[in-house]
Amino acid sequence: MLRALELRKDFGGLTVLHPTSIDFHPGEVHALMGENGAGKSTLMKILAGLYQPDGGQVEWRERQAEFTSPHDALVAGIAMIHQELMPIPDLTVAENITLGSEPCSAFGLIDRPAQLARAKELLGELESDIGPTRLMRTLTVAQTQVVEIAKALGRQADVILMDEPTAALSDHEVASLFRAIARLKARGVAIVYTTHKMDEVFRLADRISVLRDGRLVGTAPASELNPAKLITMMVGRELADVFPVRLPSSNEVLLEVTGLTREPAYRDISFQVRRGEVVALAGLMGAGRTEVVSAIYGLQPASSGKICLNGSPLSIGNPQDALTAGIGMVTEDRKGLGLIPALGVGQNITLSALRDFCRGPLVDHTAEAAASQTQMTEFAVKANSTSQPIAQLSGGNQQKALLARCLLGAPDLIILDEPTRGIDIGAKAEIYALIQKLARAGKGILLASSELPEVLSLAHRIVVLRRGSVSATLDAASTDQETVLRHAMPL
Amino acid sequence: MRLTPRKAVSALLAVCALALSLTCVSGCKKAEARKEGEIHIGFSSRDLSAEYTAKMSEAIVAYAKTKPGVKLVMVDAQSDVQKQFSQVENFIAQKVDAIILNPCELEASTPAVDRAKAAGIPLVLVNQVTKSAGDSYIGSNDFDAGRIAMEAIAKKLNGQGGVLMLHGIMGTSAQLQREAGAREIFAKYPGLKLVDHQTASWDRAKAMALTENWIQAHKGKFSAIFAHNDEMAMGALLALERAGLKKDVTVIGIDAIAQALTAVKEGRLDATVFQDAVGQGKGSVDAAILLAKKQPCPKETLIPFQLITRDNLSQFLK
Amino acid sequence: MLTLDRNLLHRFGLLLVILFVGLALSLLTDTFLSVANFTNVARQISINGILAVGVTFVLLTGGVDLSLGSVVALSGVACATFAHPGDHSVFVPIAVGLLTGAACGLVNGTLVTLGGVAPFIVTLGMMTIARGLALIFSGGRPVADMSNELTALAGDLFGIPIPMLCFAGVAAAAWFFLSNFRLGRHIYAVGGNENAARAAGVPVEQVKLFAYGLCGLLAGLAGVVLAARITTGQPNAGQAYELDAIAAVVIGGTSLAGGVGTITGTLLGVLLIGVINNGLDLQGVSSYYQAVIKGVIIVGAVWLDRRQARS
Repeated sequence: MLRALELRKDFGGLTVLHPTSIDFHPGEVHALMGENGAGKSTLMKILAGLYQPDGGQVEWRERQAEFTSPHDALVAGIAMIHQELMPIPDLTVAENITLGSEPCSAFGLIDRPAQLARAKELLGELESDIGPTRLMRTLTVAQTQVVEIAKALGRQADVILMDEPTAALSDHEVASLFRAIARLKARGVAIVYTTHKMDEVFRLADRISVLRDGRLVGTAPASELNPAKLITMMVGRELADVFPVRLPSSNEVLLEVTGLTREPAYRDISFQVRRGEVVALAGLMGAGRTEVVSAIYGLQPASSGKICLNGSPLSIGNPQDALTAGIGMVTEDRKGLGLIPALGVGQNITLSALRDFCRGPLVDHTAEAAASQTQMTEFAVKANSTSQPIAQLSGGNQQKALLARCLLGAPDLIILDEPTRGIDIGAKAEIYALIQKLARAGKGILLASSELPEVLSLAHRIVVLRRGSVSATLDAASTDQETVLRHAMPL
Repeated sequence: MRLTPRKAVSALLAVCALALSLTCVSGCKKAEARKEGEIHIGFSSRDLSAEYTAKMSEAIVAYAKTKPGVKLVMVDAQSDVQKQFSQVENFIAQKVDAIILNPCELEASTPAVDRAKAAGIPLVLVNQVTKSAGDSYIGSNDFDAGRIAMEAIAKKLNGQGGVLMLHGIMGTSAQLQREAGAREIFAKYPGLKLVDHQTASWDRAKAMALTENWIQAHKGKFSAIFAHNDEMAMGALLALERAGLKKDVTVIGIDAIAQALTAVKEGRLDATVFQDAVGQGKGSVDAAILLAKKQPCPKETLIPFQLITRDNLSQFLK
Repeated sequence: MLTLDRNLLHRFGLLLVILFVGLALSLLTDTFLSVANFTNVARQISINGILAVGVTFVLLTGGVDLSLGSVVALSGVACATFAHPGDHSVFVPIAVGLLTGAACGLVNGTLVTLGGVAPFIVTLGMMTIARGLALIFSGGRPVADMSNELTALAGDLFGIPIPMLCFAGVAAAAWFFLSNFRLGRHIYAVGGNENAARAAGVPVEQVKLFAYGLCGLLAGLAGVVLAARITTGQPNAGQAYELDAIAAVVIGGTSLAGGVGTITGTLLGVLLIGVINNGLDLQGVSSYYQAVIKGVIIVGAVWLDRRQARS
């Protein structure tokens, strides 16, 4: 039904997608797999009319199609759910869902009751109870994602492209999404799906295409593959063990948080992080993980409570204070709170620690370039040069660059909020190894993560949050997924 | 934007506060207003930042103060037709006894005049006419000003030579009539050539830049510049002096503003045309009082223009 | 490499437009291509140029400054008030003019950062406040009688117009600042993504305050230069100057959304607008047509430029 024919895409002289041909069939879930920067998102964006190919063509219903804009593709019947969420924050959920296809009454006026009913129906299909009259900006990331999915469902499209739709979703929401996908399949809709979660692929996909470094490695029915085979195809090598061995931590307390409170998000949060220790904050979506770490970094200060670093109390009003004290953070929201899209990779990396590469108020360009080059090599950031705008890099490379920014200032305490969200296994492994290396070097690491396997294998201790309160502090070595979940679930 | 209850309440409060303060302001005014037999006059000035208008407006305010039982309120339209229209509407709403209008524009200010007429409030036009006639017009014929200035240039050049003309804001009655007056002199002296003409919008900086460009384009081809007002004449003068060309070029403006008179005295500006700001101002107040008392008043009072050169300068400097 | 190429292409495109306009003008008039006329253009673009450099900083942070023209008038009036012959040394009126501008800019910056009011609204307010103050301080009349020392600022130094030297100095300093100062980098970061910049430890409020303050200071400088040039402080001067300045900056490739733009681009934008104004006067084009032609060239230049940037 939809066919990519020798599609090719260049960015600034770098070919990110070599001529690639894939067929997509109705009623089939086709998974696109590959590491970050492998070309999955690029391919999808060409199919959705967001990018124009530099070679080859898109065939739609046996005819050559020229989608010069996402609108063209939508009209033809191809909808896309983007990896980077694009909501309009000051419109309601219903308005966002029906955006561009508003039900109208006579005189072209928007039919509000019909709009609400439509939104409710679509959200219902995803088994979600989000109120259609809420403002988008009041939603969590996960809820926003659900709305974006509902929006694509509402297009009545024949093909739905899903770029990591589950990256921010809880297990419950993922299950609802899968049931919705099954219904779409039965209706004959073709689904193109990317994800980094192995289990999802095998639960969902009928066929799998693997991309590596912008080339198609192969397409095969899911039944002929297994996880090990798939990983080998993706990374081009066998991956023995993703998680490195945990080393014992010291007894020296680095960070001590006492009674941290900001109603209604969280209250009376107390825990310690020792040097060389990885402490994980676990909990369901909305339990307050991001809010607590944001308070420690000064993004959104707590209303009461004490934060001590190396035994001395800190008053942190903004990230500047945190950085000066020796606390660094990589935020969950890469696009909103991380990247300066138009600046070069190098300039993004040196942004926080720029003072170290200055003589007085002047930037020492030589020292800065050397530092950013070193960081790019050390963190394996793939880019044409230090001055390539960071917006042009793949998600994984952006994430590594932001890690490089955080660590360039040599903080004692490193806060990582969902550091592996939406990145591939290869990059994940690199980040896990890095976390261990930092711990070995005597840093303290505070890891907020929704991925339990990650939490269990990386952390020394796990602080479980439930609805804004600490429900348990567990020793990672002597606990399991069920115990953590039991403490995380609302009673 | 979504209207949350909190926003709605604060918007409502803001509106209430505004209404309250407005009633207070108008109430306070009323308290001190209207003694029996007192005459209220509203005066809308075209633009107080223009020197000539400012001079005339000051004369109006000062002269009204000398008249017992007359209260005059002055507002500034800042060259904005729309603003002037609402000012006249406000005067009508306040039921003043007479309005003095110094219109922004020939055509566009006409509705304001009509509105006053419809409300039965006598209206005096000063300095500039509109399409609809007011009950009285006090001014000088701008046509004469253009003629007097160009005639002086023609004499100075012995009827031979190139001339540049700086227009005021296009479409204002002063610009139209001053141009028409000047054109009549061009017709009279075939040896005079209009080399180029362009608007500088009564503005000194614009006139200066325009003259600089003209010096590049027409150097040696012109020996006089006629500016529709003194501000622009001063701009042209500065540009010529900077280029070292003033001795070859005659510059004449209109209005006799203070700086222009000083420049004439110093021998830099060749001449300006005196428009009697104080005379116009006084005349308009007299007419307004007559009309307010429902007494007969001449339809038109013209106060003549006079050419000021170095020779007769002393009688205009006080 | 990529960004470098793109910038070159970008400037190349704009240069092409300027060269094309220049070529057309020199074919149409024999006076366009002369040293005297170039000095002439240089003198005339100086004021818009100084303003454009200032507003580049504000636009880079993702803000806007609509108060420029009024601040020019207010600073000019303030400067002229202290510039009567024999009153003070020539430095006093200059300092007064500059400080007046800077004060307006800092008020703008404070309201934008601490007050959290949208820049459009804040500077729109300042536009009418500054105009009103200029009228109040001057009593509505041009402030004349300025000393020769001050008006000499509009004259020449070694045959080069002093306003031009001011403009060149300001532009060079601004270019050096943006590419070499830490604060310069911070300005790009704040405009590129304000929240991310804050999260990376950039003092966002201080950066914005600086940008608005500097923009005001340069508007003050433009006011002083203008007063010197027309030998008066005119309370009604500078009407709509902000629009020419912002147009020049946008033509020069600075994004209205912030984070992208260069001083060299702004210089080219200023040059294009100056050349158009000068050339149309030389041609004797009626002012009605001038307005239309100017608008078409401005929109056309930006359109061509964006098309090129996309491809």
